[in-house]
Amino acid sequence: MKDELEAFVLAEARLLDERRFSDWLALFAEDGVYWVPTNPRQASPQEALSLFYEPKPLLAMRVARLERPDMHVQSPASRTVHHVSAVEVGDLEVRSALVVAEWRAGDARWFAARVLHRLRREAQGLRIVLKRVDLIDSEAPQRAIAVPL
Amino acid sequence: MNVADLWRANSVHRAAYVDPGVFALEQERIFRRAWLYVGHESEVPQPGDYVLRRLGPDEVLLVRGEDRSLALLHNRCAHRGARIVAQPAGNTRQFRCPYHAWTYDLDGRLLGMPLPEGYAEKIELGLARVARVESYRGFVFGSHAAQGPGLAEFLGGLASAFDNMLDRAPAGTVSRFGGELRLEYRGNWKMFMENAVDLVHPNFVHRSSVEAARAQPQALAADAMTQQGAQMFLANGLRAPEWDKVPLHAYPGGHVYMGGFYRSGVIAPERADPAYERYRAQLVERHGAEKAAAVLAVDRFNNLVWPTVSVNSRFAALRVVQPLAADRTMVEVQCFRLEGAEAAMHDLTLQFVNLAASPASLVASDDLEIFERCQRGLQSAASDWIDVHRGALADRGQPDGSTLGSGTSELAIRHQFATWLQYMTR
Repeated sequence: MKDELEAFVLAEARLLDERRFSDWLALFAEDGVYWVPTNPRQASPQEALSLFYEPKPLLAMRVARLERPDMHVQSPASRTVHHVSAVEVGDLEVRSALVVAEWRAGDARWFAARVLHRLRREAQGLRIVLKRVDLIDSEAPQRAIAVPL
Repeated sequence: MNVADLWRANSVHRAAYVDPGVFALEQERIFRRAWLYVGHESEVPQPGDYVLRRLGPDEVLLVRGEDRSLALLHNRCAHRGARIVAQPAGNTRQFRCPYHAWTYDLDGRLLGMPLPEGYAEKIELGLARVARVESYRGFVFGSHAAQGPGLAEFLGGLASAFDNMLDRAPAGTVSRFGGELRLEYRGNWKMFMENAVDLVHPNFVHRSSVEAARAQPQALAADAMTQQGAQMFLANGLRAPEWDKVPLHAYPGGHVYMGGFYRSGVIAPERADPAYERYRAQLVERHGAEKAAAVLAVDRFNNLVWPTVSVNSRFAALRVVQPLAADRTMVEVQCFRLEGAEAAMHDLTLQFVNLAASPASLVASDDLEIFERCQRGLQSAASDWIDVHRGALADRGQPDGSTLGSGTSELAIRHQFATWLQYMTR
């Protein structure tokens, strides 16, 4: 089971790099949430603003937009590499370190974060209940962030 | 080039956006003179509380003194110039420089230093104070200029934006909560202020988020937070004739607001939701039915306090623009708790601000992209002049000294530049 959870998290990252956003969205449970807080100590999204706080219906809008040609901030599209390491597997919970390299329109940038995946076993397989990404510079000014981390 | 030559009838020279010399002059003539937003009193409630902020070109400390008065001090030791405070906020009895331990009280007066006998006379240098600090009903502004109009006079017709936010709080006060979102773009600061009241761009710039929301109609039936977000995305899809009904009000001093948003159902209309109904009942209790209805009927979206603040009273949020260079700008996004309202209302504020103003927002991210494209484009000398006269013939002067235009007019840009020119040429 340890290998299964680790493989799930690695495959999830690969879907983002391959821009298979609909397949990525399908990994979320219906009540699943994608969350990038501004404060690594915040326990809930009600405590502070978030870079992303997207329950699945809002995440679905983000993904629908990523598939449109008139999303200006993705013209040209980003290319990313999600480097996932230091994977620790718990009981339907995975903690990892993440470095995302992004190249777009002549600029390279990097994000570094600790990530928590909370998973659930559903009829179709493992599903994400929560993906929480705590950036090391979560309070820093950011240029537009167009693709999920 | 003379700065007065950067503006001619209804058009602006591209140097106003790209020239570092113009930016340096703006720092001196605008950002060392105008009232600039620095923080809210609720951020420093107790004696000794401080927050570290920017005030134009300088880093300053907003401090609550022993006598509860507010001081605005430069964060720079009077001795060798070291930055004294490096934490964004805290509480202290005194400020002590990490370099040679010069120590100051909460008013910036020098308390002591090592080796005073090494000086021929008694040293009384303190931390430099910002010339003026004033609070408008809790919203604190500073000005580097010793002379000039007071804060209330400076805010003029836009003081009402803060009044309306306070009127919307059942307890009559607001307080900062939720930390901050910070955005950055490689473009000029004026672009943000111009775009915030440009009602022709949403249908083009935000088309992809409008269509994405239309493709997910079930979101409108989801929880209140999701519903509110979907409505906000959809609202950008209105066409020009509908935006024309959203009037722009331009006040002396470069301030502008756009009204008519909620009345015409443009954005996030009031919802039939139990938490909202309880909130409305609280406001009726505070104000009486007639005034409560009037307070909630104030349907402005962005209220711009020139040069750098955008106030959203309805969603209790501020955006504060921090110019960093001719081609680099930071925007700080902050929100407020309407005191006395229940937690569900604060949750809606937070999520509205996340979805509308985060650098990852489906809406704001495309605005940032457009600012960067404008900045790149304006580097080119293909043509020096940018025309902003759309709608000029329809500007209508009002008895209170303001000017009224339609939502699709470039009135706001012309109006901001009129004030810009006044500051830059004197």
